Amino acid sequence: MSGQFVIAPLLVALVTAIATLLTRRFARTQMTLSLLGGAGYVGAVAWLVSKVDPLGATNVFSYQLSGWQAPFGITLVADSLSAFMLAFSSVVALAALVFSAAYVDTFGQRVSYHPLYHFMLVGVTGSFLTGDIFNLFVWFEVMLMSSYVLVVFYSGPEHTRAALQYVVLNLVGSAVMLLAIGGLYSTTGTLNMADLSRRVANPAAYGLADGGVAPVLGLSALLFAVFALKAGLAPFQFWVPAAYRAAPAPVSAMLAGVVKKVGVYAIIRVYFTVFGAAALGDLSLPGLSVPDGGSALLAFYGPILFLMAAASIVVGGLGAVGRDDIDGLLAYSSIGQVGFIVLPLAIAATATDESIRVLGVSAALVYALNHGFAKSLLFMASGAVYDAVGTEQFPDLGGLSESAPWLSGGFFVGALALIGIPPLSGFFGKMLVFDAAGQARSTIALAVALFGAILTIAYFSRAWNRGFWGEPSLLVQHGETKLTLVAVVVAMALAIAVLGVGFDVVMQAAQAGAEAALDRQEYVDTVLGGGSGAENGTAGGGGGGHS
Amino acid sequence: MTQFVLAGVLGVLFALGTFLVLRRDVVRVVWGVTIISQSANVYLVTMGGLSGSVPILGGHGGGHGAGVTDPLVQALVLTAIVIGFGTTAFALVLTYRVYEEHGTIDLLELGEKA
Repeated sequence: MSGQFVIAPLLVALVTAIATLLTRRFARTQMTLSLLGGAGYVGAVAWLVSKVDPLGATNVFSYQLSGWQAPFGITLVADSLSAFMLAFSSVVALAALVFSAAYVDTFGQRVSYHPLYHFMLVGVTGSFLTGDIFNLFVWFEVMLMSSYVLVVFYSGPEHTRAALQYVVLNLVGSAVMLLAIGGLYSTTGTLNMADLSRRVANPAAYGLADGGVAPVLGLSALLFAVFALKAGLAPFQFWVPAAYRAAPAPVSAMLAGVVKKVGVYAIIRVYFTVFGAAALGDLSLPGLSVPDGGSALLAFYGPILFLMAAASIVVGGLGAVGRDDIDGLLAYSSIGQVGFIVLPLAIAATATDESIRVLGVSAALVYALNHGFAKSLLFMASGAVYDAVGTEQFPDLGGLSESAPWLSGGFFVGALALIGIPPLSGFFGKMLVFDAAGQARSTIALAVALFGAILTIAYFSRAWNRGFWGEPSLLVQHGETKLTLVAVVVAMALAIAVLGVGFDVVMQAAQAGAEAALDRQEYVDTVLGGGSGAENGTAGGGGGGHS
Repeated sequence: MTQFVLAGVLGVLFALGTFLVLRRDVVRVVWGVTIISQSANVYLVTMGGLSGSVPILGGHGGGHGAGVTDPLVQALVLTAIVIGFGTTAFALVLTYRVYEEHGTIDLLELGEKA
């Protein structure tokens, strides 16, 4: 099935970015255009979601740019998985945009803030929709370029230092990604994800080299390191705290809530949909245990994902407990929470049972949604506190619940959502993670998740006690909260509660997303038009690299 | 023969880039990143295979089959080069800002201020 609507969110974000760039002399017009564009983006995503209809049958829609049929042209694909990611990202993006209109100073907004914000959105949308692995690199770059500038936005000493680390790390990451993509093209002869999936699933039929999938395994591991870097998974997490602390609060909200999820989405899409069907053949590696003799490429990533998830949960949790400022605590917490998203993915990768697989991926999706909402709420609440009080160091705070009850209420709801208290969406996210670990009979995964959950309670109660309870400090007494900022925080808190109460719909959508991620056939058939008429065309890349 | 020379050159370039990225001087780090991303581009060109002599066929038919080098990688490299220029320019400007803010481009001194 083809659909023009697939490209709609991308176009809306791009047009808004250009429009805000052109109207930078007129601050008021620019802000209006930017907010309208943000609302229009949510509308475009809603249109896409309604067409893909994740609650109905599994639908995949592809849009071939300029009518060049895949695998030769560039393809955009929308299925339940991308629709799910886009849906929650667009809501978080709009909330952060409204927040920044009141938070970022007028001069900053006029100069560059709005165009950069929307270009970042273009990159995020493109990454979610692309069906082509080289284009994934391009969209990543679009997203990162804007985020570099947004991280260094205040351009004070600590901001430039954080941005330098962030930029250099991501540039090296981009080079590595390019290496992996070039190698994949050389060994498989294609860049289209659907075509790639078809070829690695059946290497003999498409003339892959003798080693079968062995070179693909190594190259996919390179690619995996890059995705883990983007997602901020341990051991690639060290850029996270500095960058999140340096960026303006709504940008940190976007980085933690949405941009990180692009890395998670790429892991799900590339390793579950594209490489999921690949078999490793008789390749044996020391210390690699593959369940039931089925040495699938995906199962190779199971233990790796698990180790990274466990390390992230421990490093993030322990780091967050010791922080003395809200933003630092939230940044470390976000490392730990990404561990919670990846943990069920590890279970899904090793599971042989299809139902556990679906459960694992949907648990990851639900947790990603919950973290997207809750963490961006918390970063915005921290921004509102900074705006009112002028500091976010715990020793200078205290008693915020008295002077700013609504803001504190919002923070409280966000913290509870990450801790996992019913009926908030976080409860279901955590429950599903435990459920997946339990069903896979993985005691060690349960233990790690439990340890992480306890750490989450520890650092949030510490934040609450030191920042929000007790006697208001002198600074807090004189603080004045802005109405718009508090309104956005409260609205996000309400959204989290609504998502928790109406969890049935979220669960169905997440399940549809998980099934779409695991259902390779539908994806391949739609993108490549069902037939296999285009098989010989890319032989130049396939054979040439080995001569 | 070309393959071996290129493989050797690529290895040296990557080694040089890595060496520079690990220096204390921020400008050298940026140089290192630039060299790494340029060598990634060269590597990408080699991935299309070096068997042919021309990137496109001049005309149809006539047994040119073996003389064609994959043109797609060259399109990819063009994209990657453009992106690389943009990011390098940004990294250089950022280096200048770091110097303005901290009065030093020594990473060790920058780290001590943290």
